[in-house]
Amino acid sequence: MILFTIFLPLLAAPLLGLFGTPRQGAQANAVLAGLVFALTLAVFAAPGAGLVHADDLGLIFGAITGFTGLTTAITNIYYVREAEPRLSLRRWRVYHAMCQVVLGATLLGLYADNIGLLWAAVEGATIAATLAVSMPRTPSALEAAWKYFILGGVGIGLALFGTMLVYLAAQPALGPGFAAMSFRALTAHAAGMDGSLLTLAFVFILFGYGTKAALAPLQGWLPDAYAEGPAPLTTALSGPLMNVALLAILRFRHLLQANFAAGGAALPPGPFLLTLGLASLFLAAFSFSRRRDARRFFGFSSIEHSGVAAFAFGIGGAAAVFGGLLHMLLHTLIKSALLQVLIRAAALRGSTAPGHYGFSHLRGLIYSNKYTAWVLGAAMFALSGLPPSGLFASEFIIISQTIQRSPWASLPLGLGLLLCAVAILRNLGPLVFGPAPVRTKPGRATPETHLVTLHLVLAVVLAFAMPPLLVQLLSHMAEALQ
Amino acid sequence: MNLTFSLAHLMGGIILVLGFSLLSQRRLAAMITIYQLQAFVLSAAAFWQGFAQHEVNLYLTGLITLGIKAVLLPIGLRQIVLRFNMIRAVETAMPVVLSMILGVGLIGVAVLVVLPSTLSAVSLTREDLAIALSVVLLGLLVMTTRRNALAQIIGFLSTENGLVLAAIGMPGMPFVAEFSVALLVLLAFLVVGVFLFRIREHFDTLDLSGLEEIERRGR
Repeated sequence: MILFTIFLPLLAAPLLGLFGTPRQGAQANAVLAGLVFALTLAVFAAPGAGLVHADDLGLIFGAITGFTGLTTAITNIYYVREAEPRLSLRRWRVYHAMCQVVLGATLLGLYADNIGLLWAAVEGATIAATLAVSMPRTPSALEAAWKYFILGGVGIGLALFGTMLVYLAAQPALGPGFAAMSFRALTAHAAGMDGSLLTLAFVFILFGYGTKAALAPLQGWLPDAYAEGPAPLTTALSGPLMNVALLAILRFRHLLQANFAAGGAALPPGPFLLTLGLASLFLAAFSFSRRRDARRFFGFSSIEHSGVAAFAFGIGGAAAVFGGLLHMLLHTLIKSALLQVLIRAAALRGSTAPGHYGFSHLRGLIYSNKYTAWVLGAAMFALSGLPPSGLFASEFIIISQTIQRSPWASLPLGLGLLLCAVAILRNLGPLVFGPAPVRTKPGRATPETHLVTLHLVLAVVLAFAMPPLLVQLLSHMAEALQ
Repeated sequence: MNLTFSLAHLMGGIILVLGFSLLSQRRLAAMITIYQLQAFVLSAAAFWQGFAQHEVNLYLTGLITLGIKAVLLPIGLRQIVLRFNMIRAVETAMPVVLSMILGVGLIGVAVLVVLPSTLSAVSLTREDLAIALSVVLLGLLVMTTRRNALAQIIGFLSTENGLVLAAIGMPGMPFVAEFSVALLVLLAFLVVGVFLFRIREHFDTLDLSGLEEIERRGR
């Protein structure tokens, strides 16, 4: 079952790459994404065994990936209708194939119980995403893809080195063979691992996967890739891909922490993560102010939230890890909603091509379409983390844990969050209610906007109703990985 | 056992020296030749480790390295150099001497970082690891000091040789052959030229200083 979930999109990709018109491709893409979503839910019943064996974290994030994958694929149908003439037939086919590869590789990364397989998944997803970013073939898209490729390649190299070092560090406890690469076995024997080697490994892992998670100072590729690539794929799917990297960091962090707690030679991982987390947060906070392109702007917001999650993992303890995981979950929902409605907003103003997402171009959306404008406003407000946004709950947990465990760190955290929220809210007013550019005609909302609303409602429900099943799974994992 | 040590170290050392000499080269053709030599030695090292550890996987890694990295990729790279007429020396972002001094510093860092933290590991692995990390860091340095896309790719290829060198030295590590294949896919994407050819189309040269354009245009 679980293998089928992963390989369905990967095997369907070549077919999408070879046959069909763009519209057929988009429909097949949506059908496949629907199937994958259903399968990610079915995996709860049969989490697999051996190399690919989903733990609770994999299950939850797999389901969220399936869900955003499905809504993105549906948005993509409308996107293709509007954007069809911009790319050649061959490129549309490659684009849809890459959508599936990214989806499959993301799921593999979430479900893999083997550090080598995890690495391979991230590598495959990076290649596919880079290809997709380069698709519009404009000079700036190629520049963005090149930057992504070089930075991503370096990150992947570092992550592989770290992976090998973890294997070596596990030799005293587990000996040669597959056991020394399995997260389960590693977690169980963390105390017996070679602590100093593990610390060295963690530094490589942190910078390697940190590149994929867009933690400062390795975030350079992300805003460009967001802004220049085809809207649905690079934006909505890079959220789940970021989760893969963050979860990998969380799992390796736990090895280090467990070794340290058991009196091993490992350094505590907290300071590393706190530093990178705060750096990302402040980098985003100070980069918001001068962005003119909306997608680039929200790219920096992804850096911010990635930083907040890393910070939470750095604070440590079951409650903070729980907060970080919840934060990632809600951020995935809200960010993907926001980027989807942004595509719709750009379509209302004439074109969804990269470069048509300027704030000055989109402002006063309410004069184009009321429903879309309100949904966009709601999504932006949700991103700011003020109540009643779901992110309020997760940020509150993280802040209160910070005050409890290392009070000094709560000051910069609070300041960074405040600056980011202010920057987002400052843009909210003009974008939604400001004066529209001249000759703006009212347009119609399309049905996929309801999906965006569903995303936002889901984020609020998850955060404030706290469904018992979710809380149970998340807190169970948070305790195991604290 | 002694022969295993000394031969493995010898080959690791040659790979490191070749990685270092990439830094001093400013001509693409010479860089490609050095890379090719490095890949040859790497495949020999993989065969030797396969023999020493009795691992079929490592023979496979050696074969892949020999066939693709030592033969096919350099041919492709030379084709690109010929087609785009890039015989001239490429621009470096800093003086060669300075980058070589930095390179020495990086090797020192690698040794200082790896040797103390691997006291419990087998000594063959320890020193191999220090060498491999040096090769990786030197490759990254080549990438940062060259402005030319092809030179950056060669730097990346060298980095990747360092990674494979580390992988073959790990005792009984599964997936080594798979790792090298996965890395090759990455390299193939780079070299077969999806980017190169398109970058050529749009920038007219392979000089990447055009990348700053994205910075200037208001974001």
